[in-house]
Amino acid sequence: MKPLTWGIGLLVLAALAIMPFFVTSYIVSFTIQTFMWVALAGSWNLISGFTGYVSFGHVAFFGTGAYTGALLISKAGWPWLPAGLAGSVTAAALALLIGYPCLRLKGPYFAIAMLGLNEVVRALISYFEDFTGGGSGISLPPILSIEPVYYAMGLSAVSVTLLTYVIITSQFGLRLLSIREDEIAAEAMGINTARLKLYAFLLSAVFPGIVGGFYAWYASHIEPLGTFPLLTTITMIIMCLFGGKGTVWGPVLGAVLLSVFQELVWARFLFVHQALFGALIVAVVLLLPKGILGVLQERYRLPRAI
Amino acid sequence: MGPCWKVRVRELLALLTALAVVLIGQAGTVGAQAGKPILIGASISMTGTYAKLGNYTRDGYLLCAKEVNDQGGLLGRKIEFVIYDDRSDPPTAIKLYEKLITEDKVELVMGPYSSPITNAASTVSEKHRKIMVASLAATTSIWERGYKYLFMTISPAEVYMEGLIELAAERGLKTVAIINEDTLFSKAAAKGAADLARKKGMRVVLHEAYPKGTTDFSALLIKMKALNPDVIVAGSYFDDAVATTRQMKELDVNPKMFGVTVGGDVPDFGKQLGKTAEYVYGSTQWADNIPYPGAKEFVQNYKKMFNREFSYHAPAAYGACQVFAEAIRRANSLDPDKIREQLLRLKMTTAFGDYQVDARGFQIAHKMVLLQWQEGKRVTVWPPQLSDGKSIYPTPPWNQRR
Amino acid sequence: MPIQITGAMMLQGVVSGLLAGGLYAMVALGLSLIFGVMRVINIAHGALLMLGAYTTYWLFALYGMNPFLSLLISFPLLFGVGVLLQRWFVHRVVNAPELSSLLLTFGISIFIPNLAMLAWTADYRSVEFLTGSFLLGPIAFSKPRLVTFLFALGIAGLAFLFLLKTKLGKAIRATSQHREVAQVCGINVRRIDLIAFGLGAGLAGAGGSLVSVMFSVFPEMGQIYVFKSFLVIVLGGAGNYPGAFFGGLLLGLVEGLASLLLTAQLSEVIAYILLVLVLLVRPTGLLRGRA
Repeated sequence: MKPLTWGIGLLVLAALAIMPFFVTSYIVSFTIQTFMWVALAGSWNLISGFTGYVSFGHVAFFGTGAYTGALLISKAGWPWLPAGLAGSVTAAALALLIGYPCLRLKGPYFAIAMLGLNEVVRALISYFEDFTGGGSGISLPPILSIEPVYYAMGLSAVSVTLLTYVIITSQFGLRLLSIREDEIAAEAMGINTARLKLYAFLLSAVFPGIVGGFYAWYASHIEPLGTFPLLTTITMIIMCLFGGKGTVWGPVLGAVLLSVFQELVWARFLFVHQALFGALIVAVVLLLPKGILGVLQERYRLPRAI
Repeated sequence: MGPCWKVRVRELLALLTALAVVLIGQAGTVGAQAGKPILIGASISMTGTYAKLGNYTRDGYLLCAKEVNDQGGLLGRKIEFVIYDDRSDPPTAIKLYEKLITEDKVELVMGPYSSPITNAASTVSEKHRKIMVASLAATTSIWERGYKYLFMTISPAEVYMEGLIELAAERGLKTVAIINEDTLFSKAAAKGAADLARKKGMRVVLHEAYPKGTTDFSALLIKMKALNPDVIVAGSYFDDAVATTRQMKELDVNPKMFGVTVGGDVPDFGKQLGKTAEYVYGSTQWADNIPYPGAKEFVQNYKKMFNREFSYHAPAAYGACQVFAEAIRRANSLDPDKIREQLLRLKMTTAFGDYQVDARGFQIAHKMVLLQWQEGKRVTVWPPQLSDGKSIYPTPPWNQRR
Repeated sequence: MPIQITGAMMLQGVVSGLLAGGLYAMVALGLSLIFGVMRVINIAHGALLMLGAYTTYWLFALYGMNPFLSLLISFPLLFGVGVLLQRWFVHRVVNAPELSSLLLTFGISIFIPNLAMLAWTADYRSVEFLTGSFLLGPIAFSKPRLVTFLFALGIAGLAFLFLLKTKLGKAIRATSQHREVAQVCGINVRRIDLIAFGLGAGLAGAGGSLVSVMFSVFPEMGQIYVFKSFLVIVLGGAGNYPGAFFGGLLLGLVEGLASLLLTAQLSEVIAYILLVLVLLVRPTGLLRGRA
């Protein structure tokens, strides 16, 4: 990236860093949730945007992280920050467990398997109620100040974006893209696709685990149904797609635009909002499958690593 | 990609323009806010899973506000509700209470609908030192967190089946089977029923949860049929209560008493099931013809203002708002600590029933009501002082009904 | 607390499971048709099922029409809806990566139920037509489920006859076996797509009509059938139509027995483990051979 880009980036970061001192806690709260979506959409991008393998159950990693965080806080008495970070460990472990067999599945079968994974994790959490609280969920102590969560979520979002940049400019990233374009050809060229897919899958699970842990603390109560909805997966996908999948800034752009859109439109179109969201998904898929950045890339020959 | 991208760019621009129009349109409406009335903020589930019951909750608040204002308002000022839709989603409710308190600068807040959302939203009100009178949260664990400013007005989940168990014990019944939806409220209600039954010397022969959204109860009912318990309790919401009842008939399961926690109290239950609903017990926080002072007027005024049927959620919200208003009158101030003092001390009966809390703010006075479907009508059969009929016992086996 | 499972209970579990499975089979057959021909996973299948259920409900509530007779209306109606969906939306993503069709049909799957909610509210409704059971010794055969099961078998049977015997049916099977070759052989693949989606939607609609006799009707009622149908197709093998049928019966049986012997929560887990195992070990489905 050019120095100018870096300059603008740092300026925006600095502005975000001091923002909580100047705005109401509603705005802070809203921004926390936007950061969360940036991290989630960016993470989905790492596996599905790059390799083309559609993770249709990505919320499973988020939920696993949320439960890890909540359990460590409530049962082991950990402070929320390490508890949230620990969410990455269980999420990655789950990714390893499920990715190893399932990444061999092609096309729609991988999507179905991932969808099922999410249902199963939820069912298991409900079943082991002595440990997880089952359907009642887990209550955490109230948070007295949300600013620390703001910075933690913000750093997660920035980290995902930086990670995406590092990957896209590396040989690893190129190889992942080659899997997306033609897996058989990539394999024929000596790329160990199985291993690369698994790495990408692990990386894509880490940050959902972390923000899941932070989310548990922020929401102060989690239960299985609210923590593993398919809609969360779809929202990350659609944000990523809207901004431009396989790019660095696409998920960021998509997450910010859609978060703002949701926030403003909901109150206005109370009862048709859900239907509108459905229509938006259809519109994005049919009209903008490459996303905003994808279109701009083609139009203005922008660099690949945007 | 020849001419293709041109189209794409145009479509992209159209989408972005649409976004921009909405954004700009929104900006104009922010900021117009008169200072005079006391603003009371609340988030309500107007869309999503809890939409129907959430809307009754809102009705209750609005009717209360109208009556308080007709009687001259509070502390010489009118009151006005600021209500947002939380989409039945706890994190959204957190955000909305932040917005209500920090942006709209409401002076008071009231609770949302449902336990999970109250659980989340109360973290915000507690942080900002706002009293939250939780009109529709029945889960005990919410009051085990040591919050100072959170008050409960309805009976807790654990006592929903008190009436059924009591009647069963009076008749010397020995065994009970309990099933429940695996969610916060239903689980607490089922556990409460199990504890009450054991206390009365009954044996709990089955206690099993089913996931939310279950439509087929065959497996559970097969187990019940084999165990043949005297009493079956379902910790349910509406749709599962209907499904369980219907499938009991299909699998010929014949307990002497069968009760559901939620669902049996609404007119739709009888409408959907017809004769199959007969003899089923339902529990509720309130009934249409209940002899509380002001209850009859409430029913009339509600019909006048909204012109539709309602469930107990409307009077519950209405009663909670009346309690809140009374405490404020007595405190003669909007200071949270002064109101809190009054709410802790207050004993009162509204159209919704009795109010009194313990030191945690936990409700200890309000009574649940047990009703039974008889000849297509809901008859209150417990507690004796609120009843308008007797329960028909035992429930006849399916094959001996007309 | 463990319960003694007796033989009679097992038998009742098998009966209930199979009765549920017949419906899964028919609904999944529709999804399988669409998937087989176009490799599109139609997440909106549940929404179409819901529309079928409402069709039956309204005909029953307003005109007192026999719910089983209303199959004659719900099937063609949903066939039409399916053809329109295909013509307006789905045909544009047939050759795109699977993400497009997944998202597109998901979008439709939340759009239609929300419109239904606006039009008809989220209230639960029911078609109180058949209740109770036939008792055969200790075993109860639920009347609505037994009749529904027979209808599901009949409709699935008709669909098979159509696929096996008619020219159009053969063209559909040819397309699902090899799209390009079918095209080369002079089959109008676009037209087959339209018909396949229409048939799939029609089967979903008929499924909805049958479901409405047993369970409550509400805008989001279709959701649970979508994932079940995925399971069924995987068990039976993609594009393998008899496979989808046996997959349906098998799923009903597994679910019924798992929730009887274990709990309802775990039956989902068992079904998923079965799914992954089959995908990994026998990706062509449990049935040998092909349609």
